[in-house]
Amino acid sequence: MSNQKKRNFQIEAFKHRVVVDPKYAEKTWKILEHAIHEIYNHNASGLSFEELYRNAYNMVLHKFGEKLYSGLVTTMTAHLKEISKSIEAAQGDLFLEELNRKWNDHNKALQMIRDILMYMDRTYIPNSRKTPVYELGLNLWRDNIIHSGKIQSRLLSTLLELVHRERTGEVIDRGLMRNTIKMLMDLGSSVYQDDFEKPFLEVSAEFYKVESQKFIECCDCGDYLKKAEIRLNEEIERIAHYLDVKSEAKITNVVEKEMIANHMTRLVHMENSGLVNMLLDDKYEDLGRMYNLFKRVPNGLSMIRDVMTSHLRETGKQLVTDAESSKDPVEFVQRLLDERDKYDKIICQAFSNAKTFQNALNSSFEYFINLNSRSPEFISLFVDDKLRKGLKGVSEEDVEIILDKVMMLFRYLQEKDVFEKYYKQHLAKRLLSGKTVSDDAERSLIVKLKTECGYQFTSKLEGMFTDMKTSQDTMQGFYANHPELAEGPTLVVQVLTTGSWPTQPTITCNLPTEMAALCEKFRSHYLGTHTGRRLSWQTNMGTADIKATFGKGQKHELNVSTYQMCVLMLFNNADRLSYKEIEQATEIPASDLKRCLQSMACVKGKNVLRKEPMSKDIGTDDAFFVNDKFTSKFYKVKIGTVVAQKESEPEKLETRQRVEEDRKPQIEAAIVRIMKSRRVLDHNNVIAEVTKQLQSRFLANPTEIKKRIESLIEREFLERDSDDRKLYRYLA
Amino acid sequence: MGIQKDIVKFNVGGRIFQTTATTLANAGRDSFFGALFDDNWDLRQHQPNSSQEFFIDRNPDCFAVLLDLLRTGDLYIPSNVPERLLYREAMFYGLIDHVRSAKWGPFDGNRLKLSRSVTGRAPGDGTAIRAGPDGGCCVAHGSMVHVFDWMLEEHPPINLDYQRVNDIGWVNAENVLISACERLGKGDGGMGLFNSSTGDLRHKFNVVHDNQIKSYTAGALSFSPDYKIFASCKGRSNEYGIGVWDQVTGKQMDFFYESPGWSLGDADKLQWLNGSNCLLVATLFPRKDNCYISLLDFREKRMVWSWSDIGALLTVDEKRVRDAIAMEECNSICVVNEYDDLGFIDLRINGGSVRWSSRSRLLKGKLPDEPCYPKLALHNGQLFSSMNDCISVFCGPDWVLTSRLRRSYGGSICDFSIGGDRLFALHSEENVFDAWETPSPPII
Repeated sequence: MSNQKKRNFQIEAFKHRVVVDPKYAEKTWKILEHAIHEIYNHNASGLSFEELYRNAYNMVLHKFGEKLYSGLVTTMTAHLKEISKSIEAAQGDLFLEELNRKWNDHNKALQMIRDILMYMDRTYIPNSRKTPVYELGLNLWRDNIIHSGKIQSRLLSTLLELVHRERTGEVIDRGLMRNTIKMLMDLGSSVYQDDFEKPFLEVSAEFYKVESQKFIECCDCGDYLKKAEIRLNEEIERIAHYLDVKSEAKITNVVEKEMIANHMTRLVHMENSGLVNMLLDDKYEDLGRMYNLFKRVPNGLSMIRDVMTSHLRETGKQLVTDAESSKDPVEFVQRLLDERDKYDKIICQAFSNAKTFQNALNSSFEYFINLNSRSPEFISLFVDDKLRKGLKGVSEEDVEIILDKVMMLFRYLQEKDVFEKYYKQHLAKRLLSGKTVSDDAERSLIVKLKTECGYQFTSKLEGMFTDMKTSQDTMQGFYANHPELAEGPTLVVQVLTTGSWPTQPTITCNLPTEMAALCEKFRSHYLGTHTGRRLSWQTNMGTADIKATFGKGQKHELNVSTYQMCVLMLFNNADRLSYKEIEQATEIPASDLKRCLQSMACVKGKNVLRKEPMSKDIGTDDAFFVNDKFTSKFYKVKIGTVVAQKESEPEKLETRQRVEEDRKPQIEAAIVRIMKSRRVLDHNNVIAEVTKQLQSRFLANPTEIKKRIESLIEREFLERDSDDRKLYRYLA
Repeated sequence: MGIQKDIVKFNVGGRIFQTTATTLANAGRDSFFGALFDDNWDLRQHQPNSSQEFFIDRNPDCFAVLLDLLRTGDLYIPSNVPERLLYREAMFYGLIDHVRSAKWGPFDGNRLKLSRSVTGRAPGDGTAIRAGPDGGCCVAHGSMVHVFDWMLEEHPPINLDYQRVNDIGWVNAENVLISACERLGKGDGGMGLFNSSTGDLRHKFNVVHDNQIKSYTAGALSFSPDYKIFASCKGRSNEYGIGVWDQVTGKQMDFFYESPGWSLGDADKLQWLNGSNCLLVATLFPRKDNCYISLLDFREKRMVWSWSDIGALLTVDEKRVRDAIAMEECNSICVVNEYDDLGFIDLRINGGSVRWSSRSRLLKGKLPDEPCYPKLALHNGQLFSSMNDCISVFCGPDWVLTSRLRRSYGGSICDFSIGGDRLFALHSEENVFDAWETPSPPII
């Protein structure tokens, strides 16, 4: 028994389990829960921060973090549900104010709760991957207030209503609006986007759709654009005042789409006020507004550009094909220049000098200037006119400006070689007749042409200037060597290099004997100094100053052409000469003779000759007398030749033919150059490359290129590939 | 002077402290004192006259230390205050970050002092040690990784399916990445991301070849500032190369397959070069018979620079490259051999040779029985090289030896790492690791 008893005797192990008072956690949580209640009830002044902080710390330390956290969620949710009710109960306009007030309260409470639970925020939350207190507070607010059924839709409609009221001109409380929007943004960008931005954009689209329809029915284009601009600025301002900056692009997009993109075509083509009218009336401000608004929408600018281009092409086409304007080349070019100035100004002032618009302008001009095949001639004539007389009294800068503008037109020309032809002719006339006003201006234009088209283009033109200079020296040398010639008529010879000048082979007329002798002296002098050269006289290009005494003793100095001089000199020995006699004596070609007689007998005020019978035209049976009754108030009388400034039809054809003739070797040279480097090339590529190479001078005609290729094959520069007939092969 | 209005009086665990609100403001808003003095909790409501003290139920000795920390910015721990207690108190007041930043100064290789040695329990040799960004570290032994925070308190160890760990790395202060061998037949091993304080597995990284998820062995690791993870990978069907993952999504972004005759998947070391946007990959003797160092450009999928000692005449010294590190500022790669000789390869010339500098050969002829391979590290223009039981510090354009760190026990250093202004060295014997830190700057 005793043994049994002994066996039964056991010493209990001293088990002192450290157990925290099971009610400890509950008690502590009650304290904290109470504090949260007090905070929400604006009654926090009685709370001790140290005590609350320590309690929360202890709960986490003793592994009651989970309980603390879930308790917080429950308590806060309960409070938010209360708040939600009081917000719902708010009437009318007070709704937003109540929401805002409660939001501020919640924020403050949240801050205090976070302070108390700071230790949990630092240790328990990151390790258990839970939402930090502040974020948790925002999320709960979002779920229990903003997304609660009754508030969500009411909040949205209230906000949209306010925006609508502001759009219709009412003044709203922007501060309240800003606070509310800021709350949505604080809750996360997705809340702002889903609960406000998306519906806001939809409602705005609807609003502007209706409004733009209303405007477009009753406004003209300019007014409509003004209104659209105002609306756009209003929306941008609204963003700055109370919406998220990121919404700016989205809302302006809506306005752009509804007010501009959807009505673009109608606006541009609006009758009496559309784009074409704006262009016609130089409405820079309206055009600028249209540009700035249309720039915002896709294809907006291209639409303006297209309409402008087609309008420009249309008017340009009328301008260049108008028979009326072709009559006066100077006027023709002046109108082109004016048109260009007009559009330059529009693009500069309204279209912010956009490159694409400049390109459109250039391509349009290129298009219609080349519609008239006489454009190169006219432009050269315009320059001729300016350099003959137009530049007197104009400052150097202005000359440059005019020349630059002409160069602009020149750039548009496809047939630059035709221009060169005419320019050479006109320059020759100016130089030989000493009519050129400013040597500087002439040279400046040559330099411009040179930079534009290269050395080749102007080498002959420069040769002409050199000839003029050397001729001056030659004449000085001639008279220095022949002092005996100081008495008697003076001869001025310009020695022109063949090839540089546009000379036509002409039959030399019979000069008066005095002159013929002088010419012979000069010839021997010139050939004496320059061996191996040949001189031929271009009597059709010369001028002469002669002194004449008429019947009553009136003395005049007559400024005439060489032909006219020859004719007049005949009257030194005769009173009456018939047409036939004159023709025989002078051997001037008939057409020239007729013109020259016409200018002396039929022009009022210059009629140094008298004709029988009196008529406007020269007949082969007419007879001529010295007009003894000739009077003029000037001592010097310039007798011009009746020349058509513009080329006549046959002359034009002739020039054309010469141009075509000149192009042939150029085309051939280009073909050979290309084939030499490529060795083998197919037909289409040859055409393309040749066209490209010659573009700066003229637009090569494909059939002509083909002919040149044939000719080169004949001359065995090229051959066709035996397998592929389209391939050409270069033969070295 | 007038009466100071911001004097506050505390009764901490029975001891009275007086300080000013200004001093306490140094604690910052996210601290006990920051909240205490916030308008919401206006302390002065409870203390209408400053004679009344504010009670805090905490340890007064620690409070004194922390108050001085707020006053001076310096941390002085008297011998009667246990460090652990102090840290706990600092946690309470929300001042732990203040304590950490005051505990040691900014890193300087020439002023390092041994702060502590920690002996681990793990069996076997250490594989790797990595310093964390905030002064903590993790140590890999076999298949286990032990994590220590900056207080050198140990956290729950980490393993990836108990597979042998090849490399470890800190993605940030909260996350550690482990690369491990695969277990044949299962999807185990590879690469995983762990929470550094709890040891939870957060993400396991997959490798996909031909739209199929494959198991793989992950080796050396590297990170780029644009949140990419690089790892050398070996698959079973010769799928060797460098894998690239996004740190944020955890998804594989890219895979650079190794070309025949070259080695990438077995790499000993990866290093992201920010300046040239390239990854340095080094596979070294004795893992392979030859050394391969290359720079990979992932945008062009191209090896932009490479060096190898294949076919190079090995001299009597047998200078085999044992570790390599790219030094972008000097346009060169520094290498080291088992005699602690430093060598340099020019990065600007493809296929250049190693220029050895024999100046540093100080240890030749007295190798210990169980040598560890030397390792290199670069920090703020200072070059560190470990050899046997010490670490040498080299400075200046000519890399002059300026300091040497040595401790008496623990044997050879098998790995070391610099980060969070600390240097950690792992010894091969006894599983000891040392934490070296720079003392706080002098008072004057």
